[in-house]
Amino acid sequence: MGNPALRTEAVWKVFHQEAEEVRAVRGVTLTIQHGEFVVLAGPSGSGKTTLLNLIGGLTRPTDGRVWVDGLELTRMSSRELARIRLEKLGFIFQSYNLLPVLSALENAEFPLLLRGLERGRRERRVRELFQRTGLAGLEHRRPGKLSGGQQQRVAVIRAVVGEPALVLADEPTANLDSAASDILLTVMEELNRDLGTTFLFATHDSRLMERSRRLIHLVDGQIVSDQWQEPRREL
Amino acid sequence: MSFKTAVITKLALRNLRRQARRSLLTAASMIAGGALLIFSLILGDGTHEQWIDSAVRMADGHLTIQSPRFQGSRALKDRMPGESRAFVEQALLQGGIVGEIRVMAPRLAVTGMASSAAGARPARILGVDPAVEVSFSVLDEKVRQGRYLRPGDRLAAYVGIGLLEALDLRLGSKFVLTAQDAGGEIAGQLVRVVGTFRTGIPEVDRSLLHIPLSTAGAWLGCGGDVTSMGLLLGNSELVPQVRRSLQQRLSETHGTEALRALSWRESLPELDAAVKIDDFSNYLFQGILFGIIALGIVNTVLMSVMYRRREFGVLQALGLTPGQSASLVLVEGLILTVLSGTIGIALGLSVTWFLWGEGLDLSSMMDNEWTFSGVVMEPVVVPRFRVARMVQGLSFIFLIGMLASLYPALRAMRIDVAETMKFER
Repeated sequence: MGNPALRTEAVWKVFHQEAEEVRAVRGVTLTIQHGEFVVLAGPSGSGKTTLLNLIGGLTRPTDGRVWVDGLELTRMSSRELARIRLEKLGFIFQSYNLLPVLSALENAEFPLLLRGLERGRRERRVRELFQRTGLAGLEHRRPGKLSGGQQQRVAVIRAVVGEPALVLADEPTANLDSAASDILLTVMEELNRDLGTTFLFATHDSRLMERSRRLIHLVDGQIVSDQWQEPRREL
Repeated sequence: MSFKTAVITKLALRNLRRQARRSLLTAASMIAGGALLIFSLILGDGTHEQWIDSAVRMADGHLTIQSPRFQGSRALKDRMPGESRAFVEQALLQGGIVGEIRVMAPRLAVTGMASSAAGARPARILGVDPAVEVSFSVLDEKVRQGRYLRPGDRLAAYVGIGLLEALDLRLGSKFVLTAQDAGGEIAGQLVRVVGTFRTGIPEVDRSLLHIPLSTAGAWLGCGGDVTSMGLLLGNSELVPQVRRSLQQRLSETHGTEALRALSWRESLPELDAAVKIDDFSNYLFQGILFGIIALGIVNTVLMSVMYRRREFGVLQALGLTPGQSASLVLVEGLILTVLSGTIGIALGLSVTWFLWGEGLDLSSMMDNEWTFSGVVMEPVVVPRFRVARMVQGLSFIFLIGMLASLYPALRAMRIDVAETMKFER
């Protein structure tokens, strides 16, 4: 059996705020296999985003170890972590975070551009994903000329275009209305089903929780439940 | 160009265009700075070249060849043999530098007394070859009465106006020159005033006079010997190269003690100091000006980094290394400064060329002749266009751009990615 997409072992993150010690993540041990569609749920301040940052190599753990696709991040230099983020991880943020100076297509192909993939292959791959996500024809629009839902779909394409081992999505539907959320979730489900992309979401959005196949609850930085479920299908 | 450099350059250009107004305002200050930099550099160079040209033609040339002991003693016993001229010409030919020499003037210099019925005055007597001297010295252009020396003149003297007045002489008057000859005896020579000059430098006008070289040689018992050979070059920049080559040839043929080539910097140390001081004050002024401009650039680039903190966070989350984030900021700063600086330099050159290419006339600001370090200032300053100055100006602007972008680049490099994402909460 190959490496899991993600493995964490007793991961801790402690912040020091003035005299106070904040234990944001407390000994989280977790394994996610390739192709899973997992939601990390919990109230505000439960440590969801911090855990995502630790997994994404954006923050270093105080203790414990993190592996992405079998590669241990904990001892990597900033440069090596940047390479892992480029090659093994995809990120989707709440506020889309597209680069305003690039067109939708340029934003989506950015990871491939950084990897040095030649233009023809880049464009073929990105245009196929634009087609699949219902964005065909909008390739040359700047982010400011797209709706929130469209921008988030471009962000999804940017996250999956390099076929990463794991896509980390932090509150991806928080800024979207119901209709746009549904379209986005459907797009991500299809990408998960058709391309085998592994998704890990941090959210409070009940619609997203309902549509996940694995739901992990985090409270006060600790996993309190980890359940497999039958996802609810949208009509 | 690597693909990552291409990505970074593309992003940098787009970001500059995105903040077009801010970029343009910063660029405008850099354009003005670049134009002012090149204007002051080429005008400064023109002024210095004019000082040097004026001074070396009034004195002993860009290069002076003489016995190493003569500069200290100024005595005829330390003169050069008459055949030195042939040696020097040969050395110039062998060194392949003869083409750089405009004029070579043999001189026999002695300090003595000039006496008339009205009295006696100390005089700097220069025996010159009139045929060569008119191309070398500017003295023939300063004639007030009469004429300069001519080939074939024997007992003629071309006298400074101050000395003429002190001795109560006029054109055609005879007077006596007295000096120690080559044998150490006091010898006298009768000469007649054929012309007078006025340089505007009182110490020159009160003491200097020219007589024919042949007359001086016969009077002082030196025959065809001279005290120095002055070399006038195309411009002062050629001095180090010609001097090195010439000195090497002279040392090979005559030994290190026989003949020495002195540059104008050694024979006119006051002028050398004046040029250096002027250059320093110019650089200081430019440094202050560009320091102020650099602060503007730091402000623009830093504001841009602070405004785009989250973008830098996203870029690093997508796989850009902290170093690449820093290089994006550096490239933005460099594009802004180098592009606008180049435009500024081109603008400065064009304006100077079209408006003052033939010279900047300052005569309205100069009521009388103005002398400085023994040099008469010309009222028209001709700018000097040199490729080296353009390269120097561009390098300076590149350096300023680099330094001004360094701090904002460090800020971009040290961004805490997770922290920048907190802003969306």
